[in-house]
Amino acid sequence: MHRLGLSVFCSVAALSCAAPALADPIKLEVANSWTSGGEAAAKQVIIDALAKKGVEWVDSSIAGFESANAAFNSRLMAGNPPPVKAAIAGLDQSEVIGQGLMTDIDATAKAAGADKALPKLLLDNVTFDGKIYEAPIEFHGESMYFYSMPVFAKAGIAAPPKTWDEMFADLDKVKAAGLIPVAWSGQGWQEVKTFNTILLSVIGTDGFNKVYTDKDEATVRSPGFAKAVDIFNKLHNYIQPGSENLNWNDATAMVITGKAALQFEGDWAKGEFVNAKQTPGKDYGCEFAPGSDGTIIISDVFAFPKVKDADQQKAQQILAETVFDPKVQVDFSLKKGSFPVRADVDTSALDICAQKDVAMVKAGKVAPEQAIVLTPAQNGTLTDLISQYFAAPTSTDAFVDGFVAMLKNA
Amino acid sequence: MGIGSRSDKGSGNLPGPTPLAGQVRRIAMGERRRVGRVAVPMLALLPVAAIVVFFYIGATLWTAGISLTDSRLLPTGKFIGLTQYQRLFATPVWQTSLVNLVILAVLVIGGCLVLGTLLAIALDRAVRFENSFRTIFLYPYALSFVVTGLVWQWLMNPGLGLQATAQQLGWTWFVFDWPQHRETAIYAVVLAGLWQGAGFVMVLMLAGLRGIDQDIWRATRIEGIPVTRTYWSIVLPQLSPTIATALILLAMGVIRTYDLVVAMTNGGPGTSTSVPAKFIIDNLFGRQNLGLATAGATVMLVTVLAVVVPIAYAQNIRAARRRNAL
Amino acid sequence: MSLVAAAGINPHGPKPQRLTLPRIGLYLFLACAAAFFLLPAYVMVLTSLKSMDEIRQAHIFALPAALDFSAWATAWGNACAGNECQGVAFGFWNSVKIAVPSTIISVLFGAFNGYALSFWRAPGSKLLFGTIVLLGFIPLQVFLYPMVRLLATVGLFATLPGIVIVHVVFSVPLVTLLFRNYYASIPIELFKAARVDGAGFWRVFTSIMLPMSTPMLVVASLMQLTGIWNDFLLGLVFAGRDNLPMTVQLNNIVNTTMGERFYNVNMAATILTAAVPLIAYFVSGRWFVRGITAGSVKG
Repeated sequence: MHRLGLSVFCSVAALSCAAPALADPIKLEVANSWTSGGEAAAKQVIIDALAKKGVEWVDSSIAGFESANAAFNSRLMAGNPPPVKAAIAGLDQSEVIGQGLMTDIDATAKAAGADKALPKLLLDNVTFDGKIYEAPIEFHGESMYFYSMPVFAKAGIAAPPKTWDEMFADLDKVKAAGLIPVAWSGQGWQEVKTFNTILLSVIGTDGFNKVYTDKDEATVRSPGFAKAVDIFNKLHNYIQPGSENLNWNDATAMVITGKAALQFEGDWAKGEFVNAKQTPGKDYGCEFAPGSDGTIIISDVFAFPKVKDADQQKAQQILAETVFDPKVQVDFSLKKGSFPVRADVDTSALDICAQKDVAMVKAGKVAPEQAIVLTPAQNGTLTDLISQYFAAPTSTDAFVDGFVAMLKNA
Repeated sequence: MGIGSRSDKGSGNLPGPTPLAGQVRRIAMGERRRVGRVAVPMLALLPVAAIVVFFYIGATLWTAGISLTDSRLLPTGKFIGLTQYQRLFATPVWQTSLVNLVILAVLVIGGCLVLGTLLAIALDRAVRFENSFRTIFLYPYALSFVVTGLVWQWLMNPGLGLQATAQQLGWTWFVFDWPQHRETAIYAVVLAGLWQGAGFVMVLMLAGLRGIDQDIWRATRIEGIPVTRTYWSIVLPQLSPTIATALILLAMGVIRTYDLVVAMTNGGPGTSTSVPAKFIIDNLFGRQNLGLATAGATVMLVTVLAVVVPIAYAQNIRAARRRNAL
Repeated sequence: MSLVAAAGINPHGPKPQRLTLPRIGLYLFLACAAAFFLLPAYVMVLTSLKSMDEIRQAHIFALPAALDFSAWATAWGNACAGNECQGVAFGFWNSVKIAVPSTIISVLFGAFNGYALSFWRAPGSKLLFGTIVLLGFIPLQVFLYPMVRLLATVGLFATLPGIVIVHVVFSVPLVTLLFRNYYASIPIELFKAARVDGAGFWRVFTSIMLPMSTPMLVVASLMQLTGIWNDFLLGLVFAGRDNLPMTVQLNNIVNTTMGERFYNVNMAATILTAAVPLIAYFVSGRWFVRGITAGSVKG
């Protein structure tokens, strides 16, 4: 793979291929919002791989999705976008692709075997008008909860619950032991993910897809959906006070320090446990929400705005090619707590939580997160709806009506 | 802020060969002088006028125009009439934003005016350490809203802040967790805004107080009028221009409130501390909904015009009446 | 005329006050107010001097076990925002490069326009002034996209001159208001006298009005310096990657979405970012008050 990349680059740039160190690396600016320690280490994996191919990653990171979007979108508007942007697969970038502002990486992706190695769900969401436009670097799973083994032991919970009824019984045990059952981060985007975790576990992967991908009103109005809403509502009794606007990692800290039993969180939570030197299976455990028959996934990708400079265009394709490299995929995931998108990579180095997700993906039991299949505007409305509901629960019917309205209002 | 009144008695007299020629010459020179006099300032004002017309007004018209289209991330040309406005007013977040803006306007402006005036009056009473006090009251104004929001969020965090400390000291009844509840969260923002702005109002009012004729105090002391009455009935009315300036500056700040809310509550719990500026920006960039964002911006613009223009007009009338009465 | 005055000895200074009950009440009020205002600063400074373990204990008012300045060093030089571990120092000079020219240009421009709008009765001045003030009420976000397109058209988007222009344009309402009101309180006789002496438009401004405006120049400069230094959104959008101000750097350090938050470093970085406006206020606070005193608010 590396030799192929090198020779492609050499022939294109017409440089001497005598030594791997090339004359002047091409500077490639990459806009992203990966500003934390774990994310930076993950980026370094790609940076090193790119350096070997004569491309220098110029980092343009802004913390916070809203601020990063503000910076990027205004550059797009000014006609001066960065050549690479980290984004989410699916509808997130569909508008700009549709307006012809982005370059496709179809040839590079196919040369790297992406059309065979990517799960169909993902392939469909990075392909627009028959061509591949985005290079996915990782999957994040969002169907799990992470629990503290010491706390479970203290509360007398022998094994992770298999149904929601068992779950609530166990949470009661934690309460009786004087600890906090569920560590809760009261930020809108967190509450949406938790709701979705519950939803999938109740109505299954097919039901979840019917709701979000197919926007089927009947499923939203089904008793299963209502049951998920009720479970979501019931969690009020089990969370800590002061959860409002609490950062997710502060909630994870409660699980790490044994103050709380569990947290519903995406797999990036593992990074916090690693920082605190805890190992899965020994100090903490990870389980799918009770009854889940699949996993919700989201995929971070690189998108490539059109640029005029020929060198930049070369560098874009090189980055795409690097992203598809199986070794880069595995190393990146190890640092970031995610798991690779290619089905044909060696996943034995991943931790047990990631491997559970990988197994689900291999079995085809996946549902795309709502950000992939909803427009950003819908996603925003959904966030408002769910966070407002959790802050001030209305009737289930009112919530369902609001949900249906959101789906209809693309 | 009154519109300036400058009385002008006109140009002087000029000699001429004959009375009539002289008169003609006088008029001609006067004209030329007047034209000359207005040509230069008009030229000088051209840059700022150009900015106002081409940029500000142009941008406002562009915004209003976009609000009539279905633009998403980037502007499209597709005209859809007032649909965005219908969507806007059907959006609960927007309704909440408007209500919150009114709450902020009344409480922050009113609160800063009251607190700032009280502090200024206190400092005007010839106290010791006036410089130190003044610095203490004024320094928050130098901080950014992001800093202010962050620190007050901490102070009001039930597990970390004042409440935790007080309860550890044994005062278990003490509750200070406003950002945690939908009903009280906006008042947390009010408090932080008050903390930041009162000092600036204090400085304005102090300056105004120092400009008051000190003989008033002697006179009222002789008459036996109590101090508080003096302030209320005599001093404050004299300071109304100062109060007006403070009010305008505060209003400008409140309408633009964005950073403070984002740093303190990010619009939460739920959406209970949304404000119009945040709504607009969220839809502009994050939610890729240019049409809705510009509709919100246009509504705010129209509201501001509807409130400010009548006031300015009334003031103008009053000033003109005063001038004619003299 | 008292004997004392006749003898040429005049008492000056504040009349010595007795410690009456109202006086005590006054000082009490001031002390409470001072506590209210100082509370956040106290917490910030204290937190920046603690270790993370102490902070997790969550006693925000407790004194630090030891004065630990390492958080300050990290905040200044090493704090990581993604792959760049340069602290906020990196953004400091950018903020200076943005704030200084923007302040100077916007203040002078405002003084010039305030002068032109107040002494000279050019037709349309009132309307122009009214419109300018009105525009100050509109949230900036409304003008973001038009400004982006405008700057892109002239090729100044994401450049230093670009962000300076943005700041100048967006401060027109405030600064014009301040100077127009200031000049409105200067007696017209002064202006007339200068005109009779034959001074033209430009001369009156540079030789007479501008020198007289020192107090207001100080006020406006302080307000502008503070506002521009503390700005986040405009710098983020218009300054370009190489000129990002300190506030953007601070946001990157403080608001990392994923990963542990080092609150002590965050507080130190926050104070460092606020240092310049704070120092400016401490140093020139007296002139600030004097400036506003000197008739700038007669409205």
